Amino acid sequence: MFSNLEFFIIEAFRSFRRSTLMNFVAIATITVSLTVFGLFLLLIVNLGNIVGSISSRLDIVGYSSREISLADAGALQLKISKIPGVEKVEYISREEAWKKFKQDFNSKMSLDQVVYNNPLPHTFSVRVRTPDILPSVAKQISNIDLIDEVRYSGKMIDQMMSLIGAVRVGGIGMVILLSLATLLIVVNTIRLTVIARETDIYIMKLVGATNTFIKWPFIIEGIFIGVLGGVFSFLILKFSYDSATLKLSSALPFLPIVNDAFLLSVIYLSMIFGGMALGMFGGYISVSKLLKE
Amino acid sequence: MIEITSVSKAYPNGIEALSNVTLHIGKEEFIFLVGSSGAGKTTLLKMLYREEVPTSGKVVVDRINVAELEPSQVPYLRRNIGVIFQDFKLLPKRTVFENVAFALRVTGVPRSTVRRKAMQSIELVGMLRRANSFPNELSGGEKQRACIARAIVNNPPILLADEPTGNLDPTTSWDILQLLDKINKRNTTVVMATHNKNIVDEMKKRVVELDGGRIIRDQQLGMYNV
Repeated sequence: MFSNLEFFIIEAFRSFRRSTLMNFVAIATITVSLTVFGLFLLLIVNLGNIVGSISSRLDIVGYSSREISLADAGALQLKISKIPGVEKVEYISREEAWKKFKQDFNSKMSLDQVVYNNPLPHTFSVRVRTPDILPSVAKQISNIDLIDEVRYSGKMIDQMMSLIGAVRVGGIGMVILLSLATLLIVVNTIRLTVIARETDIYIMKLVGATNTFIKWPFIIEGIFIGVLGGVFSFLILKFSYDSATLKLSSALPFLPIVNDAFLLSVIYLSMIFGGMALGMFGGYISVSKLLKE
Repeated sequence: MIEITSVSKAYPNGIEALSNVTLHIGKEEFIFLVGSSGAGKTTLLKMLYREEVPTSGKVVVDRINVAELEPSQVPYLRRNIGVIFQDFKLLPKRTVFENVAFALRVTGVPRSTVRRKAMQSIELVGMLRRANSFPNELSGGEKQRACIARAIVNNPPILLADEPTGNLDPTTSWDILQLLDKINKRNTTVVMATHNKNIVDEMKKRVVELDGGRIIRDQQLGMYNV
């Protein structure tokens, strides 16, 4: 088997070397498809990031340190929610907040032994529809009696994550569609390179080569083409993303561009492995189809 | 060696390429298949290496029932049958040596023996000088010699030739026939479909004539025409 493997690899490289144009077309197609795919991935990741960072600034929090009844709180909640542009008002009583704080604090020592009075205010968490009206809404809330202090751009990590999640779900749908399109293009391109060698296959069958023996060189060649396409698209993506990041971060410093080395490596590596899988699959499908005919 | 019994072949479009053909070919025979184009010569040859399967009837090659062979077993049948063609079917991007070695290599022969056996075969057809040439650098006769070297490199007991001289001038055709005769004398059964009257008449071998898919003549020491 080892000597056969050697033969398969030698055959794959030989045919790769000798059908230059066909392979060039196949590699270029894979490179372009994967690059488009990768650009889309980067776009989705960054979109998620931007949505996340915007949504994290969408909250206004109003505090009241006075004694207010539940009825007063309800009236206040209603009043705030009537301000134009307000989407949602959430009321958290100081008791509730204190309870939660103690839970979160989670110490062996009871906080009640140290702090005798609940130091927390009543909280109204306000979500507005668009970030641009935040200041005016905040001002209107602060004008309300009983509200002592207003803050906005409070970080509501959970909500931010759920919004990113929504963007990702939409993105994954697109990624699946795009993967299918890429797969179809690549399989068809590799099919062309296989059809171009129909005579080779005919002769291999004629002299008594088994199907397995015929398939392997094509699959290996497919892997080789796919990996090359993947490496090229990796280089294109990395180079263009790095230079775009550099330019954007100086032109639009507030834009939250994804710069997570691990995430980027995963995307880049998925280009190479994706290319490999595409090439292998493409080679396998094409040669199998031809063998059946 | 080859037993064809009541074989018919009808294509889906209704054309009957062979009809009730029975033919027995003994070990080490040299036999010509003659007849006009479309008489069924090529179809008959294809039955033997299972490029085609008969609609009815039985084909036995070297004790193997070809028609009922599992597809996975077909490669092993073909290792016992050499085939040469009018259009040679050499791989254009490989040298003569590589074409011949390829036939050995794809059947899993270890590399160490490939070179020796390929060179022996190339020497037998008189192509040692051209072993490193590519097909487009060869004359028609040389291409056919390379094709023969490839066909016999596995030492098959049977060699099938489909119009091997169809593209060659008379002198070259004659050289090829002498080579086939030499291979026949090395204990190989040769079945050759041909239109070449001069060769058939000169060789005085067994002649089987097909017409419209039927055998109309089977004659020892035959001529091209009756």
